Amino acid sequence: MGWKAIHRWLGLTIGALAVVLGITGAILAFDPVQQAWQAPAAPGDLSVATLAERVTRTIPGAEEIRHLPSGAIAVFSFDGDQARASYVDPADGRVLGAWQPSALPRWVKNLHRSLLLGDAGRWGVAGIALAVGILCISALVLLLRRMGGWRRLVARVRGSLAQRIHVATGRVVLAVLCLTSLTALTMSASTLGLVALDAGTEPDVVSVASGQAALPVGQLPMLQNLSVRDLRKLNFPDAADPEDTWKVATIQGEAWIDRYSGQTLARQDVTLAQRVYDWALVLHTGEGAWPWAVVLAFVGASVPLFWLSGIFIWWQARRQAPHITGNSPLAQADVLIFVASEGGSTWGFAQTLHDALSHNGHRVYTGPLELFLTTAATRQVFVLAATYGEGQAPAHASRALERMTKLSANAVPVTVLGFGDRQFPAFCAFAEALEKTLRAQGWPALLPLECIHRQSSQQFARWGQTLAQALGEPLVLEHVPRMPPTTALTLVSRQDYPGFADQPTAILRFAWPAQSAWERLHGHGLAHFAAGDLVGIVPPGSAVPRYYSLASGWEDGFLEICVRQVPGGLCSTHLLGLQPGDHIAAFIRPNRGFALPRTRQPVLLIGAGTGVAPLAGFIRRNDRHTPMHLYCGGRNPERDFYFGSEIQHWLVEGRLTSMQTVFSRIPEGGGYVQDALRRDAERVRDLVAQGAIVRVCGSRAMARDVAKTLDAVLAPLQLSISQLKAKERYAEDVF
Amino acid sequence: MSKLLLTTLATTCVLAIPTLAHSRQVTLTAQLKNYGGDGAYLAAYLTDAKGAYAGTLWVAGGKAKYYKHLSNWNRLSAGDAKRLNGVTGASVGAGRTLKVTADLADALIDAGYEIRIDAAVEDMRDSPSDVRVPLSTGNAGKPQAGKQYIRTLTFQLQ
Repeated sequence: MGWKAIHRWLGLTIGALAVVLGITGAILAFDPVQQAWQAPAAPGDLSVATLAERVTRTIPGAEEIRHLPSGAIAVFSFDGDQARASYVDPADGRVLGAWQPSALPRWVKNLHRSLLLGDAGRWGVAGIALAVGILCISALVLLLRRMGGWRRLVARVRGSLAQRIHVATGRVVLAVLCLTSLTALTMSASTLGLVALDAGTEPDVVSVASGQAALPVGQLPMLQNLSVRDLRKLNFPDAADPEDTWKVATIQGEAWIDRYSGQTLARQDVTLAQRVYDWALVLHTGEGAWPWAVVLAFVGASVPLFWLSGIFIWWQARRQAPHITGNSPLAQADVLIFVASEGGSTWGFAQTLHDALSHNGHRVYTGPLELFLTTAATRQVFVLAATYGEGQAPAHASRALERMTKLSANAVPVTVLGFGDRQFPAFCAFAEALEKTLRAQGWPALLPLECIHRQSSQQFARWGQTLAQALGEPLVLEHVPRMPPTTALTLVSRQDYPGFADQPTAILRFAWPAQSAWERLHGHGLAHFAAGDLVGIVPPGSAVPRYYSLASGWEDGFLEICVRQVPGGLCSTHLLGLQPGDHIAAFIRPNRGFALPRTRQPVLLIGAGTGVAPLAGFIRRNDRHTPMHLYCGGRNPERDFYFGSEIQHWLVEGRLTSMQTVFSRIPEGGGYVQDALRRDAERVRDLVAQGAIVRVCGSRAMARDVAKTLDAVLAPLQLSISQLKAKERYAEDVF
Repeated sequence: MSKLLLTTLATTCVLAIPTLAHSRQVTLTAQLKNYGGDGAYLAAYLTDAKGAYAGTLWVAGGKAKYYKHLSNWNRLSAGDAKRLNGVTGASVGAGRTLKVTADLADALIDAGYEIRIDAAVEDMRDSPSDVRVPLSTGNAGKPQAGKQYIRTLTFQLQ
């Protein structure tokens, strides 16, 4: 079982009980804080003899003086038959008020340390503490793995909200939580009798009456030399028992003093176990150290946050995780299939291959590419790799290549099958990189690299035929792509633009069906979305969805996209043929890198053509009036100035701070959007120097030209687009 | 001191054998106050006319690490290796009653012996000799008030 599995299952199960301990722990941390303010701390250099003398003057029936962890002095006494416990002012022995061990009900503490179940509960709680310790260790391993080492530990956390909460909180409180678990175990060990704290039996000593009167406490030499700083408690001798002694407990140990001679009769040093216990107690409870108690309270309160976000992460992962049915254990499988997939569709192909090979009697294991390895049983390895963006690896496999270069090759053939889209210049670039690395390492291949274009089932089937021949066994790869569950959206309104030639364009506004709370909780129906996310639309007669950038967010109450007719395009033709009231099947795909974070920094929006759509969505929801500056390019304001009138309106409202428009097909139109940026170089530099966040949306060619122009514009600042990208200040959405 | 210890050990043997010929059963009933804390640790023991330890009757509370809070009993009984033999039970909650029986040799009754109970409650002050009552026929059945945690202690002779 790996660290991840340990962390997940311990967290999901024992985590629920740890929540109880976390909450009660946070409540218990109230005590040290409250006590710190209740009575003044005694000056550390005050002698115990002086203190005791003051106390005997004001409280004749005093039996015990305690130097509390908070530094205050409490005195236990009898007033006739009435037992009293009072705070006293160490300066004059004046009674300040009643002392109570805790302001909280007893059950809180008992729930915290034994779940109200007595000794069995104490064992249980010790078990939970141990589980929390293991959770912390596994969390550290996973955290380092996720962030990429100690040095990157403070880097920005990526991922869903639940992941960000879990990881960002985790790296702050992890050390304290781990310490808490360790100290809890130390305390449990003594409570459960596994470690003895006592220094052995107490010495049997008595005060020897020699006819003289008992010494007043102020004249006891030992107490004169002892400062309150070191005192824990002082027990007075019983007035009715002439043989009784003074007993003083300090942080170093205990001593017994003859009440007549004032001589120290016996001493007992504290054991090492007791010292360890005392430290554990302070670190675990924060008693006598109220700022630490406040820290502990926050850490305790963070436990439910961890548990809930952890459950959420697990649940999300479960929903999104590819489910490979009929997976054999890795160690026994003779065929291994490793998958690198961004959206998840490649897993579907892997399952088809998996099933076909299993059908032929192979034991097949399919797993994510980051686990790449071979075992003694392995005979064939297949790598199914999708390419993401500009030829990058899918996020989960980002370090797979690096890992592979460290593995030494063996004689097992490794065959790579790439997935991509030919309209991107970096078609199957990641698969190619894998192929190159594997061959350079010396791994043989059963088949040369093949790249599947746009998830083509036909091409996959053809590759299957080649594979069947190479393996010498019959094999049919019949892939039916899996589609995310879709929601029927209704066209509410459309705003048509003439566009150019045979490329009319329209802004389409859709409504989604009402969803009950029950559906929402179970993640049915349309997912929440923000401007800049993508909507996947499945046109009739096709199994492959097309993606459009969203020009609105969930809060706007409608779903808006800007669609331009692609000559012969199945989906755009279908969409532009819709009339209000017509339906489409759609689903949401998050576009996390592009969606705008909540920010106070200025925002620079650069878009051309229909690429202005997500930018319009950002501006529409700029309720906080963050300074946003739009550079917007078209061909002719009469024909393709999408969202034109709305943008004018947002300028007036203050949602948009400034706008520069350029049109390439009219005289004096200003050329292209990158020309406008070049002209405004000074201003753009200023904005970036102020920390501006940049979003670019448009065609691939436009995005490339904008990046080139900005690189030149920013050169005087010693800044480049790649640096901004690394800081997540620059993102593109290209089509 | 050593002479005392010898008699102490001898008496403990008498206490420990329940089916002794000349013995009487004594029933202790200790009712606790509502002191508002966790279960109390109690140690009921006998001391002789000189105040020396003579044997343990009952110890309520199972964690040895807390016995030092029953300070008189813990100190006096330190030399008694068998002080816990067959006489321990659970701690006693606030407001509850502890009822235990012990067989005592006839010779102990009306001979200046005294029943004492030390009490301690977590996070609260220790109460050594919370209650003391002479083991005499005349005191049997008479409730004796305690200092801090014990409302009354009553013993019955049979």
